[in-house]
Amino acid sequence: MQIAKTVGCILIILSSTLMGFYCSSELKSRIEDLKELRKIIMLLKGDIRYCNTPLPEAINAIAKRHDGNFKDFLVRVSKKLNERSGNTFSQIWKEAVENELHMTSLTKKDKYQMIKFGEHLGYLDKEMQLNTLDLYLVQLDEELRGLTSNVKEKTYLYNSLGIMAGIFISIVLA
Amino acid sequence: MKTKDELLKIFSSKLRAIFGSLNINFDDLQEIRLRINCPLIVSYRNREYFVTENAMLATDPARGFFISRNEIDETMEYISNYSLYAFEEEIRQGFITISGGHRIGIAGKIVVQDNHIKGMKHISFINIRLAHQIKGCADRVMPYLIDETNGGIFHTLIISPPKCGKTTLLRDIIRQISSGGPHMRGMNVGVVDERSEIGACYMGVPQNELGIRTDVLDCCPKAKGMMMLIRSMSPQVIAVDEIGSKEDLEAINHVINCGCKLIATVHGSSLEDVKNKPILGELLQNKVFERYIILNNIREIGHIEGIYDAAGNKII
Repeated sequence: MQIAKTVGCILIILSSTLMGFYCSSELKSRIEDLKELRKIIMLLKGDIRYCNTPLPEAINAIAKRHDGNFKDFLVRVSKKLNERSGNTFSQIWKEAVENELHMTSLTKKDKYQMIKFGEHLGYLDKEMQLNTLDLYLVQLDEELRGLTSNVKEKTYLYNSLGIMAGIFISIVLA
Repeated sequence: MKTKDELLKIFSSKLRAIFGSLNINFDDLQEIRLRINCPLIVSYRNREYFVTENAMLATDPARGFFISRNEIDETMEYISNYSLYAFEEEIRQGFITISGGHRIGIAGKIVVQDNHIKGMKHISFINIRLAHQIKGCADRVMPYLIDETNGGIFHTLIISPPKCGKTTLLRDIIRQISSGGPHMRGMNVGVVDERSEIGACYMGVPQNELGIRTDVLDCCPKAKGMMMLIRSMSPQVIAVDEIGSKEDLEAINHVINCGCKLIATVHGSSLEDVKNKPILGELLQNKVFERYIILNNIREIGHIEGIYDAAGNKII
């Protein structure tokens, strides 16, 4: 009986510790993903500003160069745009955000902001595109600043909470 | 078939279904007109028809498929590749050239700023003019363009009203000069394709055949492009479509003084017409061009009305 209890406590502490580590690694991955997304938006901005490249062509070019978590997303948007299946750009973008970003650690809020950004792309003139891209870059920068400023504290907090919660639950159950 | 596939991509899903089932030869289709709240019209084998919802050609306007705001908006989205901003300059001029070299004329509400056209909104009228590549259509004129004294070619001006095939003829002349043949050696040809109609470049690659010794400056203003080509690609022949501005005239003089040969086109129906044009008239008086080809569409599109020498004497 005593052995079973000990094994149970060890398992609880182990799993809650892993949970804590998972949360902290998710936070780090989210930062990496947001940085990656920022890079993609910068590339898109460059293509539009200097070459006036249409969106399908620009996204396709980025998809070819990109090899990270956003590759499937970019490939899908570019493919759907070239199919011209009767959907607007924002519909295609939204669908891809919802279905192709499972590999990333982006939160619901991040995806919502991405969808909102897609609603204004391709619309009106070049100035409008650049303003939309700039606005989204500012949003991403703010998000990144907020996350990176206390990433160390949060990682430490998640890790400690995981271990402590495991110990606490074990004591209560024992 | 290639024309049909290329063309279907630009239409809204409804129009795509109609044109997809339309049983006609798309190579003989000249124009498609979309006007908001009006029936769909096509110009086919020099005749105007209304296209019905069940994909038939009709002569009664009431049977035509009526174009709604949705059809126009969706079609514009595809024409501009979801990126109207990429065609700002073209929209200011009133047309966009798409893959395949087809020219899309657009009209709607003009946005004016400081007395200049800034853009266009509420686009409600679309005219799709189909470009056709006809290899060999210049066979008849080529012997008259070759200067047998030095094996080169003459400075040539193609004069034609709209829709008479001047760009098609120019394209084939470029192809034949560039590739050469049994009667002439191939020459380096520089093409300034301001509206992407000659080469129909897609991502820098000409979709129409322009010969093996041709360099294309795509979407480049003619006058600047001619100068650039001379400096960078040392062409023996320069080809441009629809000349007429003062800047063009200066660039043409530069081309001619550099020893390059020039092949150009201009809107008009006779030599007299062109002589009366304020800028081009000067070129004719100075006998810059050594050959004039005049086209019309009286018998068929691209019918050669006559070829004239520098003095205006008819050769054929």
